[in-house]
Amino acid sequence: MTETGAGRPVWPGDSGPGGRGDEVAREAVLARAFVRLADTLASDFDVVDFLHGLSADSVQILRAAAAGVMLADGRGGLRLIASSDERMRLLELFELQGAQGPCLDAYSSGRTVQANAADSRARWPVFAPEACDAGFQLMCAVPLRVRTDVIGALNLFRGSDEPFTGTELAIAQAMAEMAAIGLIQERAARERNLLASQLQAALNSRVIIEQAKGMLSEYLTMTVDDAFNLLRNYAHYHNRRLSEVASDVVDRRIPSAALGRPHGQHF
Amino acid sequence: MREDGRRTRIMAAVTGEGATAGADGLVQRLCRFAVDEMALSGCALVLMSGAESASVLAVAGRHARTVTGLQLELGEGPCLHAHAYGMPVLLPDLSAESANRWPAFAAAALAAGVHAEFSLPLTVGPGGIGTLDLCRDRTGMLSDEHMADALVAADIARDAVLYQQYAPGGPGLPELLATAGTDRIVVHQATGMIAAQLDESIANALARLRAAAFASGRAMYDLARDVVERRVRFDD
Repeated sequence: MTETGAGRPVWPGDSGPGGRGDEVAREAVLARAFVRLADTLASDFDVVDFLHGLSADSVQILRAAAAGVMLADGRGGLRLIASSDERMRLLELFELQGAQGPCLDAYSSGRTVQANAADSRARWPVFAPEACDAGFQLMCAVPLRVRTDVIGALNLFRGSDEPFTGTELAIAQAMAEMAAIGLIQERAARERNLLASQLQAALNSRVIIEQAKGMLSEYLTMTVDDAFNLLRNYAHYHNRRLSEVASDVVDRRIPSAALGRPHGQHF
Repeated sequence: MREDGRRTRIMAAVTGEGATAGADGLVQRLCRFAVDEMALSGCALVLMSGAESASVLAVAGRHARTVTGLQLELGEGPCLHAHAYGMPVLLPDLSAESANRWPAFAAAALAAGVHAEFSLPLTVGPGGIGTLDLCRDRTGMLSDEHMADALVAADIARDAVLYQQYAPGGPGLPELLATAGTDRIVVHQATGMIAAQLDESIANALARLRAAAFASGRAMYDLARDVVERRVRFDD
């Protein structure tokens, strides 16, 4: 942030009234936006809510008419995850960018892309006229990038032809990068939690299966190996997981006698 | 030293020349590294999801297997606590007051020659998958450097175990688990048999088995064997 001398605009190139009160208010909005961007590891985190917040914040902070976030879908395509408003024309604009447009360029190059109406018609002959019809003269896309890892792009539109200033682009890039770091951390945490719960389930089911073998072998007076075969056959016949059947046996939800009864040829 | 540098240094030490692929080899070398570099007697990596499922995945040095085994036997102790609450348990002097939370464990560990025990949880989000346990045959706290190394070693061990399933050429999770804690199988089977004999819950059956072993001064494993081989019944 630049220094805040008396009456001096916080962001160079800001053509608004730019009073001192505005500066302070904007700094406060920006600070709150960054706090939200850092908060991805909360237990109730939701990626769509998070990116809706990024879209809404960037519209407010960067004086854009509309904004949206597209993320890579794992098959090399981009999908719209959140936008600053739900107007059909705006949503269609994002739809088009699967094939061409600033988002796709920012995503594939990893660089910020900005174009006015004239430039955009030359670069994206299908996309640009649609954007113009929707009321947008200036378009910009900033990659969601952490080092070499690009996971999507933040798209900004203006109704006028006034380009985003260098400072505004720097802020947009900082917000996009912050969002990308948060999303990548959240993905890693989610993956670790999933792997951990799989491991815990494997550890638990091992114990329960052995307990069920012991219990059956006692109730039905047989070896533990024979008890295991009964368990496995029962699970197979009823199309259930072995660990679930074992758990029902030790908690007596399935009476042991039920496993001792023949239930048809079921190997 | 920054944490990144610490992780890099420890990874280099445990993945150096002659290292085999896979998490089983890696956690084994981590335990060895801990014993050698942190002036320990022993180190064990324990996987668990609740006390009954605890099993030793890797061990190095002296006493570590005994100390962990004692806790499973008694159903109390620092590694069970560290796992349950997701926080390290540091017992620099087992004969001192702080160890009296687990009097049976402390007495048995001292009798085995262990005077200090440190258990670090392998945390994942709000839960965890086990502990890294360090023991010493003399009293005293870990130095700050050794503690920092141990915490990073615990993170490396956690990641190695979690991402095992994706490691190219390494053993999958089932193979990894198959090598851990097979000696408890007979205890689980005996617990199920006792529950049937007494028409009791699994938890009560386990308590009865543990109490009977403790009262007779026998290892749970030995008594469980007698139950499974039908030499001992609990409903007589």
